[in-house]
Amino acid sequence: MGDAHVRIGLITEGGYPYASGDAGLRCDRLVRGLGQHEFDVYALSRSERQEDEGWVRLPPQVNRVRTAPLWTAVDDGVRHGRRTRRRFAEAYGELAAAICAAAGGPVAPPVAREGEDDFGDSGLSGLSGLSGVSGVSGVSGVSRVAGVSSVSSVSGVVGARGIEADRFGNALYALADLARDEGGLVGALRSEAAVRALERACRAPGAASAAGSARVPDLLTVAAHLERSLRPLSLDWYGDDGLGSVDVCHAADGGAAALPGLLARHFSGVPLLVTEDRVPLRTHYLEAAGSTPVRALLASLHARLTAEVYRQAACVTAGDAHVRRWQERCGANHAGLRTVRPGVRPSRSAAPADLADPYTLVRVGRIEAAEDLDCLLRAFAEIHGTEPRARLRVIGPLDEGPDGAAWIEDCETVAGKFFPAGPGETEGVRADGGRPVSFEVIGAVCGAPGLVEAYAAGAVVVLPSVAEDVPGNLVEAMFRGRATVSPDVGAVAEVVGDTGLVVPPHEPMALADACLALLRDPERRARLGAAARARALELFTVEQNTAAFHDIYMEIISRAPVRRPFVDEAGEPLPFAVPAEAHVPWRWAQQPQSVELVPTPKSGRTGEAVR
Amino acid sequence: MNERGPVAVPTAEGEAKEDETREDKAREDRVKGGGTRGDEAREDRVKGGGTREDEAAKGADATPQPPATSSPRSDSADPVKALLHRHRALCERAVDPLEIAARLEAHGMTDRTAARFRHRDVFSLAEELYARVPRVEETRTPEREVAGAPDALTGWTVLALLPGALCAVTLGGAYLTEGRPRLVTAAVGAVAVLLGLRASLHRGPSHARRTRPTGSAGTATCWLLAYALCGDGLLGAALDGGPDGPWPLATASVLALALAWAPATWCAGLFAVRARRGLAASRSLGEFADFVRPLLLGVSAVFLSALAALLALCGAVLHEPVAHAGAGSLGALLFLARLLIAHGCPRLPAAVLNSAATFEAAALATVLIGRLPGCSILTVPVETAVGAWGPGAVPALACGPAALGLLIHATRTLTRATVHTTPLGTP
Repeated sequence: MGDAHVRIGLITEGGYPYASGDAGLRCDRLVRGLGQHEFDVYALSRSERQEDEGWVRLPPQVNRVRTAPLWTAVDDGVRHGRRTRRRFAEAYGELAAAICAAAGGPVAPPVAREGEDDFGDSGLSGLSGLSGVSGVSGVSGVSRVAGVSSVSSVSGVVGARGIEADRFGNALYALADLARDEGGLVGALRSEAAVRALERACRAPGAASAAGSARVPDLLTVAAHLERSLRPLSLDWYGDDGLGSVDVCHAADGGAAALPGLLARHFSGVPLLVTEDRVPLRTHYLEAAGSTPVRALLASLHARLTAEVYRQAACVTAGDAHVRRWQERCGANHAGLRTVRPGVRPSRSAAPADLADPYTLVRVGRIEAAEDLDCLLRAFAEIHGTEPRARLRVIGPLDEGPDGAAWIEDCETVAGKFFPAGPGETEGVRADGGRPVSFEVIGAVCGAPGLVEAYAAGAVVVLPSVAEDVPGNLVEAMFRGRATVSPDVGAVAEVVGDTGLVVPPHEPMALADACLALLRDPERRARLGAAARARALELFTVEQNTAAFHDIYMEIISRAPVRRPFVDEAGEPLPFAVPAEAHVPWRWAQQPQSVELVPTPKSGRTGEAVR
Repeated sequence: MNERGPVAVPTAEGEAKEDETREDKAREDRVKGGGTRGDEAREDRVKGGGTREDEAAKGADATPQPPATSSPRSDSADPVKALLHRHRALCERAVDPLEIAARLEAHGMTDRTAARFRHRDVFSLAEELYARVPRVEETRTPEREVAGAPDALTGWTVLALLPGALCAVTLGGAYLTEGRPRLVTAAVGAVAVLLGLRASLHRGPSHARRTRPTGSAGTATCWLLAYALCGDGLLGAALDGGPDGPWPLATASVLALALAWAPATWCAGLFAVRARRGLAASRSLGEFADFVRPLLLGVSAVFLSALAALLALCGAVLHEPVAHAGAGSLGALLFLARLLIAHGCPRLPAAVLNSAATFEAAALATVLIGRLPGCSILTVPVETAVGAWGPGAVPALACGPAALGLLIHATRTLTRATVHTTPLGTP
């Protein structure tokens, strides 16, 4: 199994090959860690600046890199004829109607479509320990009942949602087909016909009330956003020399990157693997702006797109249980869901040196809101009152460097209110005097040498109360073997487990007491630190992440291989190159022990049964 | 460390359901730690594999009673009510329950906290909040129409006067000079007028924001203007067998056209601003089209009357007969073409300008070719037209129908909402 060779189409958005991508490091480690496979990288760039900054060095297993801009779309100048225009108007109208439909939302449970070889259902059901066969038949049973006649209210609702999801998916694929056959989709999406179709959908009976109140500027905004979101449809990646030739599509970070994978699955049947370390839909909700109809329609669009991606994906991975909950909520199939913890750093890091100053608190990370800093300083004032030797080092911002000086100045101003620099305040604190709070900026990303030292220098690491999916600061601190105090937001509690203190967010007293408890008890600090390091080494190494993805690739390949005609040297199709059983989308024999199909494509056969 | 090892193991995978729920419970205690849940916490600790660290952490959290910012009174019959009050604005603004869930999570809400509101998770809590808070129709802020107005007013309104002023200065210079200096003045002045026009084109409402102006349209415009200056005189002279020496130039028409650039720009600006305001106010695309159509016709009428007044004025000042039909239709054609190009519809205007220029060139050419033996039949149409209506008939026939066609085209394209938006990519 270890030497099986898989060709992976890695789709990234604003990430991997670009030097400035935020998810770049993660993908780089994945690609480097899986040298036995082949990677084709398909990258969507986010801005012109990013393109100018160039790529990172690529390892030899990267076969090719194809890029496309997501920040701009050039109209290819194709003018549609009357028939194509009608075809576009129909497809776009259907899409708009699906978006505007009332009472939709992303709460649709996963409903299997019948008559399709549903990789998501039959394929990975064995993974999560469920009885795959019963699960599949149960779900499709519901949809069958609903499809024939919606007698009971429950199945009626389920059926309606399934139909709604089908409607969106079909319209999306119709537009993709149109873009592939005729081109000129960018111009069509920007045309008045698109806005008119959107207006009709909004005014149609059965549309959501928020959609019904959309005015012309709202319609224009939504149409422009739709055009931006559907830009991947116009890419020329889906041919047999592109994504059609890979064995697995891996959308490395949900969102826009998943759409090309979805289309590759539609055009060529390539199984799709979606990895999400954060929830794109949630990010969208938090960033959404504009009037109510705009936000409602865009939320509906993104929810439906996400649901369609989850529905079609052979496997969806989440970085933590928090993301996973969102994925389940948005319609991801239980059976195809897996948690793959992100690899934060290689496990070979040195054991933490005992450099720590026993009275220093280190707080790493950007301060997002004024109240966050306020809470921290309030807590520290409390700590300082009880334990005068305590010092606080605030380190940030980690992502954007240029405004560092301004940031420090802002923070100093706030800190000045809590710790006025009078002689009475500073005496007895330190030999060098000065304020017990210091602010520093250490640029660059996690892992910069200054930052590692900063973690090591503190006795206790305090985490910011920013809802972050798998907080890198926290994991880094755990790797350094430091006791941590973190607010209970996002996935923090799950990451830290039993190896650090978790306090309610925005409560300075709780924070102060937790810090004081740790400052006063060096032994407990050391114990917690060691446990934290052990936990981090177990859960957040790059090796476990790479191994997990290797397993998933193998699993997908074995369960849902791409069916391409086998041809000989002359280009003639080879009959019987694939055994008939390979076309059976589910297992015939219901045995208590699972039977794995292991592909050996080099030898010409698609798989063999191994117990 | 050693005694900690086995404790961390069960939480390592986090995949099996049972483990997760147990973990959740343990976490919930650790997090909350408030005095109200003390008993349950102890119970969970016993059965849930809680550790000494948990206990210590709990102790640490529990000792002071934090100001109850997020903890509801457990004896209250409706624990969600306090939360609802605190996040009312958020809930009223939300478009679906998931938005409330996302924003609550951003405020630090977790499933553990949601359990205190007697909900399984944040999602079901959000659903309750969404159901209980009526949606509020937010008041719309007219943010669009004011954008870009202040800085635009200063620059382009003044700049629009530049071509007219340059043209007047050039004519004055040419009037005062004789011979070679006069020629130099005229040449320099023509270049200066074109440069002024160009400068004015790149600012203000006439600036083609969405598409690059097509080169052929520019050439055609120059040709049309050149014909307006000397075409009529040349045609008349050619029909009379000339030209023998310099023929009369229609300076008044050209001066009027150059001066008319200012009202044209102002009218275009008025149209753009009013249309955008109408866009923000209209409820449907049909309503918007009904609003824009009279606006477009009105703006065109205002421009045409301004042009007519300028033509009459220039004719009176320069003591020169003015071809109202030819210059007027040319002005209307150029105005509409510029309006369409500025709103991102450059294809048809360019074609129409080209065809009008070709028509005029063909009229001149037929007259000149008609002098060749056997080709005299070619001159008949032009001769007839000029005989009936004078030399101004050619530009009027070239530009009049073209302008009318463009006007009809404009009433169909400029009433679309998409042409009045700022281009994609720029805010």
